[in-house]
Amino acid sequence: MFKVRQDEPQYAFLNDKESATHNRYGTPIDTVAEQSALRGESLNINADREVGENPNRYKQHGFFFTADNCIACHACEAACSEKNDNPPHIAFRSVGFVEGGTYPDYRRQNISMACNHCDDPVCLKGCPTRAYTKFAEYGAVLQDPDICFGCGYCTWVCPYNAPQLDPVKGQVTKCNMCVDRLEVGLKPACVSACLGKALEFGVVENKPEDRDQAKTNIPGFPDHNITHPNIRFQQTRTLNRDMVRVDSTPIKYHRDDDKGQYESEVDKNALRQRSWGIKTLLNSHENAHAIFTLCVQAVMGAFSLLLIGQLFSITGLAILPEISGFSYMLWVMVAIMGIGLFKLNMHLGKPHRFYRGFYNLRHSPVSREIAGVSAFFGGLKGVAFFSLFSGGWAVLLGALSAALAALGVMVGGYYMYKLYRIKARPFWDHWQTASSFVSTMLTLGALILAFFVLITGNMASLPLLGSVVVVGLLLEAVGLYQHSKDLKAGSGEGQASHYDQTTQFGKSYYLRNGLIVINVLMAIGLMFASDITVVLVIILSLSILVSAYLGRIIFYTVVIPTTMPGAFFWKNKGFVEHARESGLADMQQLGVAYEQHHAFDTVALVKTVKEVFAKS
Amino acid sequence: MLFGRNKKNPIKMADKQVKDWKYATCGYCSTGCSIEVGLNEEGKPVASRGVGGADVNRGKLCLKGIFEHELFDSDGRGTEPKIRGSFREDWQTTDWDTALDQTFADIRRVQEKYGRDSVAVISTGQMLTEEFYTLGKLTRGLIGTNNYDGNTTLCMASAVSGYKRSFGSDGPPGCYEDFDETSLLIAWGSNLPEQHPIIYWRMKEAQEKSGFPLIVVDPRVTMLAQNADRHLTITPGTDVVLMNSMMYVILDEGLEDRRYIEANTNGIEELEAEVAKYDPVTAAKICGIDEDSIRAVARQFAGAKTAMQIWTMGINQSTHGSDGVVGINNLALITGNIGIAGGTSLSITGQCNAMGTREWSSCSGLPNHRFLENAQDREDIAKFWNVDPEFFPKKRGMLQTDIYQAMELGQIKGLWLIATNPMTSLPNTARIRRAMEQLEFCVIQDCYADTESAQYGTVYLPAGTWAEKDGVMTNTERRINVVKPVVKPHGNSKPDLWIFNRMAERFNEEGKVNFSEKASDIFLEMGVLSEGRLSDNSGMTHALIEENRGIQWPYTKIQAENGEAPAKGGVRLYTEETTFRYADGKAKLIPLPFIDNNEVPDDRFPFWLNTGRLIEHWHGRTKTGKLGNNNKYSPIPFAEMSPDAAKELGVVAGDYIRLISRRSDAIVMAQLTHRVPKNMVFVPFHFHDCANRVVLGLLDPHSRQPAYKQSAVQIERIADQAGAAKMSMEMRKF
Repeated sequence: MFKVRQDEPQYAFLNDKESATHNRYGTPIDTVAEQSALRGESLNINADREVGENPNRYKQHGFFFTADNCIACHACEAACSEKNDNPPHIAFRSVGFVEGGTYPDYRRQNISMACNHCDDPVCLKGCPTRAYTKFAEYGAVLQDPDICFGCGYCTWVCPYNAPQLDPVKGQVTKCNMCVDRLEVGLKPACVSACLGKALEFGVVENKPEDRDQAKTNIPGFPDHNITHPNIRFQQTRTLNRDMVRVDSTPIKYHRDDDKGQYESEVDKNALRQRSWGIKTLLNSHENAHAIFTLCVQAVMGAFSLLLIGQLFSITGLAILPEISGFSYMLWVMVAIMGIGLFKLNMHLGKPHRFYRGFYNLRHSPVSREIAGVSAFFGGLKGVAFFSLFSGGWAVLLGALSAALAALGVMVGGYYMYKLYRIKARPFWDHWQTASSFVSTMLTLGALILAFFVLITGNMASLPLLGSVVVVGLLLEAVGLYQHSKDLKAGSGEGQASHYDQTTQFGKSYYLRNGLIVINVLMAIGLMFASDITVVLVIILSLSILVSAYLGRIIFYTVVIPTTMPGAFFWKNKGFVEHARESGLADMQQLGVAYEQHHAFDTVALVKTVKEVFAKS
Repeated sequence: MLFGRNKKNPIKMADKQVKDWKYATCGYCSTGCSIEVGLNEEGKPVASRGVGGADVNRGKLCLKGIFEHELFDSDGRGTEPKIRGSFREDWQTTDWDTALDQTFADIRRVQEKYGRDSVAVISTGQMLTEEFYTLGKLTRGLIGTNNYDGNTTLCMASAVSGYKRSFGSDGPPGCYEDFDETSLLIAWGSNLPEQHPIIYWRMKEAQEKSGFPLIVVDPRVTMLAQNADRHLTITPGTDVVLMNSMMYVILDEGLEDRRYIEANTNGIEELEAEVAKYDPVTAAKICGIDEDSIRAVARQFAGAKTAMQIWTMGINQSTHGSDGVVGINNLALITGNIGIAGGTSLSITGQCNAMGTREWSSCSGLPNHRFLENAQDREDIAKFWNVDPEFFPKKRGMLQTDIYQAMELGQIKGLWLIATNPMTSLPNTARIRRAMEQLEFCVIQDCYADTESAQYGTVYLPAGTWAEKDGVMTNTERRINVVKPVVKPHGNSKPDLWIFNRMAERFNEEGKVNFSEKASDIFLEMGVLSEGRLSDNSGMTHALIEENRGIQWPYTKIQAENGEAPAKGGVRLYTEETTFRYADGKAKLIPLPFIDNNEVPDDRFPFWLNTGRLIEHWHGRTKTGKLGNNNKYSPIPFAEMSPDAAKELGVVAGDYIRLISRRSDAIVMAQLTHRVPKNMVFVPFHFHDCANRVVLGLLDPHSRQPAYKQSAVQIERIADQAGAAKMSMEMRKF
C-alpha cells in the first residue's frame, strides 16, 4: 500500500461525504452492484495483494478543474511525471492554453488535462490488443503498456490526448488516476500538487468546497458527448469572444451567445502561405498507413474485379483467368499485399507482437480490420497457390479460398473504413473516407489488371478497365468535392483541416486535384483510343499512383483532432517538427523525441511461444 | 459499464523504492520551502516532496523543487579541480592542493603588484549562510580586498538599499501570514505565480478565504495581473511617479495616519513638499495610469483596514529601484501599514539565500548588518575574529556592477567568482566579455563546470551543490531553515565551506583567526554575533531549526532560555512603535524626485524591451536547462510580441526574429500575444547570449542594481530562418 506520511496535509485527502446516485448522463455512479463479485478484490498494484479501504472505492471518480484559477505553473505535470517516473517527452498530464483580447484587455485560459476516465472509454473499445481495462475501482481506465503493441489507435480516438505514444519505447502509457494513492484515501499526485487552487478530484458530480458550477464545457475542451468524460469545470470569469490557440493549430473558440458556450472555428489569422508541405507529408508517422491502405485496397480491388467478372461473366474481366501467366499476376498481388502488411506491421512499436491485433474483435474496428485483411490475404494466397494446380480438388479449394478472400474484402474493407470514422477526428469522420477507399480499389485494382493485359497483349480488356478507372476517379472527385463542402460548414477542427490542406499543403492538394482531372481525361482516352500506346498506360499509371499517394498522405497528415490546446513550445506540433528538423531535438532535455523504427524482436516472440507451449 | 479484461494483469506503477527521506530546504528561490529528498537502497536520490508539516510550503513544491533530486548528477557538474596558464589554453585536471595553491599564489601576487583591492571576490545568493560568513571572514579578515560583493546586487540590492534608507536597517518587516490578515494587497512589479509559486499559493489560499482586493502594477498582463481586481499598466520605469501621485491623493485628501506619522517618522514636511508636484493629472501623463485610477487606488489603499505591498524585480531592477522601495515604504508608513498583521511592505526576495548573504556575508559591510563605516562595528568584529581593526577598510568598496566597470578599465586584475555566472547574468554581454578577457587570473568556483563564465577561468574549483552540503538559508520572511547533506558531493567536488576553509589555511599564516569546520558550530558562532541585534538568531541551533521546519528571526537566546518555543510563523519587525533602526527609533520619509533617465523607445529603436523570469527556469539555466522536465516548457529563447506589431513587420508566430539595440543583437523566436502592448517585447533573461546582449542596464544611484527591464530595441524578421535556428542553437550549449 502507498505510505501515507504522518504530516500529510489535510488538502491531500479525499473528502467525499455524499454523492449522487447517477451522473448527468444517467449512468450510475456506483460502478458495480452491491453484490458484485468484482467487489472486494485487490487492485494488485505491483503484486501487492492488499485491498484498499477507501469507502468510495466503487464510485466513479473524476477531476474537477477551476479554469479561472489555473496559472500554468506546471506543478501538476511535474508531480505526475515525478511520481510516474516519466521521461521529458512523455506526459500523462499537460497544460496548454487559449488566449484572447487586445492588450491590456487580454485573458489567457490555461487548461490542465489528463485522462478523464470516461463513461464510454473509446480508447478501450478501439484498442485492438485489449490493453485497456475500466476498473470497478474508482471507474479508473487503466492501460497495460506490456500488452500494448504500439499501434497508436487509442491516441487517434481519444479526444483529450490522454494516451501517450512513446516513440522511444514503442508503446502507449497513460494516466493511472494514481489509484495507489486513492486506495489509502489520498488525492492523485497532480491534484495534491496544484498551486493555483485549480485542480480537484473526487466522486464525479461532487463539487469541491467553494465551487458552485460543475460544467462539462470550457473553451478548448472537446464535445463531452463523444465519451462522457468524468471531468467537471468551473469557469466564471468572462472570456473574450474569440479565444485562440497558439500551438500551430489554426483553431479558435468562438462564443456562441445563444448556446452560451464556445464552439471551435478555423482561425484564418494564422496567415498561412500556400506551400507544398512536402517534407512534412513525407515524414509523417502515418506513412506506413498510407502505403498499407493503398496496397491492400489495390489488391482487394483487383481481386474484386476478377471475382465480379467471373460471377457476372463480364467479358473483359472473365477472360483474364484464361490468359496464361494469370497465376503470376496472383502472386504479384500477394507480393503487393505483403509489402502493405509488412509496412503496417513494422510501423508498430512492437512489431513482433502483431498477433495481439486480434485480441479485441468484440469492440475494436482495428481488430476486425486486421482479421478481415488477414482472411483476405489467406484467401488470396490460397487462390494463388491452387491456381498452380489443375484438377477438380484444386478448383474446389481455389473456390473456397476465393470465398474466404471475398469475405475478407467485405469485412476487412468495411472495417478499414469504419476505423476512421472517429468522432474526435472530423476530417476522417465523413463518408468520403469510404468513397476514397472504394475509389482506390477501383482505380488501382483496375491498373493492376491493366498492366497484366498489357504485358500479355490482351488489349481488348483495356477499354473496360479504363472505364473502371474513370468511375473510380469520378467517385473520388465527387467525394472530395462534397468533403470540402461539408468540412467548411462543419466543426472547427474539420474547417481547420481543410484550411491546412488548402494552405500549408495547398500546392500538393491542388496538384492532386488537378491530377485527378487529368487522369480522368487520360483514362477516357484509354477507353476510346483505337491505338492504345503502352506509353499512355504507363503515364496514366504513374500519374494515378502519384495522385493516390499524395491524396493518402494528405489524408493522414492534415487531420486535426478535437483535442486539447497545447502551449507555445510544449505540445505544439509545429515546434516539435521544427525541433526534429533543425536538430534541436538532439538535446534530450528538450522533451522532443525522434520517431523511431522498432525491430522485430524474434527472441521475444520465440520466448512467448515457448511459454505458451510450456503452459499447455 | 465496460470492464475489458476479466483476467487482469497486476497493475504496474512506478515505484522508486525510496528507503529514506532526507530533510533540506529548497535551493531555488527565496520562498524557503522545506523539501525531502528520497533515497533508494543504493543511496541514490530518486524523488523529492514538500514537507507536510512545514509552515512555509505545507507539503507543496513547484515544478523546480519537484525535480530537484535530479540536480545532483545532472550534466555539466564539475568533478575535478582544473588549472591552466591562461584562458586561451586547454584545461589541465589537477588535485585540490595544486589548484588551491595556485589560487592563493595568484591572489597574493596580483595584490602585491597592483594593491589589495585589485583582486575582486564576487559571490552569490546560492550558498549556505555559514559559507557566506566564512567567506566574509576570509575576505574581510585575511585577503583584505574591499572589492567584494555578491550577485545579489543584480536582484535584491535595491530592496536592501530602500529598507536601509527608510528603516535604518535591512530586513523585510512582514511575513507570509500577512496574506491571511490583510484587507488589500498591491503587487508592484511582481509576477508571483511565475516567480514565487508557493508564495502565490499561500496568497491565493488567503484570498479565496477573505476576498481581499488585489491591485497589480505591471506593464505586462501576467497571470497575476489578469486575475487582479485592478491592473495598472504602468509605463516602464515610472513607478515612483505613481507612488508620489498616490501619496499626493492620500495627503491631499487627509487619508493618512497622522498619529502614526508623527510618532514614528521623520521628514513628512519634505515629503509633502515633493509629492505636491505630482497631482494625478500631471502624473498620469508620465506614468501612463489615468488620473481616476490613481485616485481610486490611492483611496482604496489608504482606506483599507490593513494594506500589504509586495514587490520584486519590477521595482528593484530599474534606475529608480531603491527609490521605488522607499516609495513603497513611504506609502506604508504614512498609512501606518508597518509592523501590523496584514500591513507591511514585503520584498519578495530572489535567490534561495539572498537574505543569508545580506545578513552574514560581509559583502556590504560586516556580519549581521554591521557597517564598515561604523568604528564600533569594525572594532567589535576585529576583536571577535582576532584581526587588526585597521585591516578593515573604513568604507564599503565597489558593488558587482561597479567592479565590472573597473575591470573593463583594468583596475581589477584578478577575480574569484563563486557560484555566479556574469557572462549570462550581467547586462551588456559584450562589455562583460571584454572585462573578463583582460583579467590576469580568474578563479571559477562553481558546482557546474560548464557555466559560460568558466571559459575565462584559469582555475576551476568544483563545488558541491545544494544538499550535498550542510548549513542554513534565510528566506523572504526571515525564516532560517536548514539544508542537510543528502548525498556526498559529486565526483571530487567539495562543499564551498571546505574550499573556503582550505583557502583560509593558506591565508591564515599566523594561525590567529579561527575557522570552524562544522557548519553547526559556525552557526553558533554567528549566533553570538547576532545577540541583541535586529536579526538575532542566538536562540537557534541547527537541530532546533530542523525540528521546527525553519524559525523566523528574531529568535533570541533569552527566548530560548525562557523556554519560549519558536513561533510557527507570523513573526514581524517593528511591531512596537518607534523601534526602527535609526538612532531615534523613527523611520524616514524620503522625498523622491523623478528624473526620467531611461532609454525610452524612439524612431530608431521603437520597442520597449522588458525582461523577466519563467517559472520553469532558474537564473542562467545552468540547473534547469539540463532537466528535461523543467526545460521542455521553454527550451529556447523567445519574445512575447504583439500580433499587431508582428503584422506590420511581416512576422508570423514561430519565426526567428532579431532584436537590435544600441549594444548588440539577440535572436529569439516570436511568440505572438496580446500580453504585451504593441510597442513592447518581453524576453526571458535566462538564456545565455540572448537578452543581456541587448539590455542597457543603467545603474541605480543608491543600490547600483542594473535596470534590466527598460531598454529600447528594434525588431527585424530574419530572412534565413534555418540559419537563425542554427545560430540560436550554437549560442548556448544547453
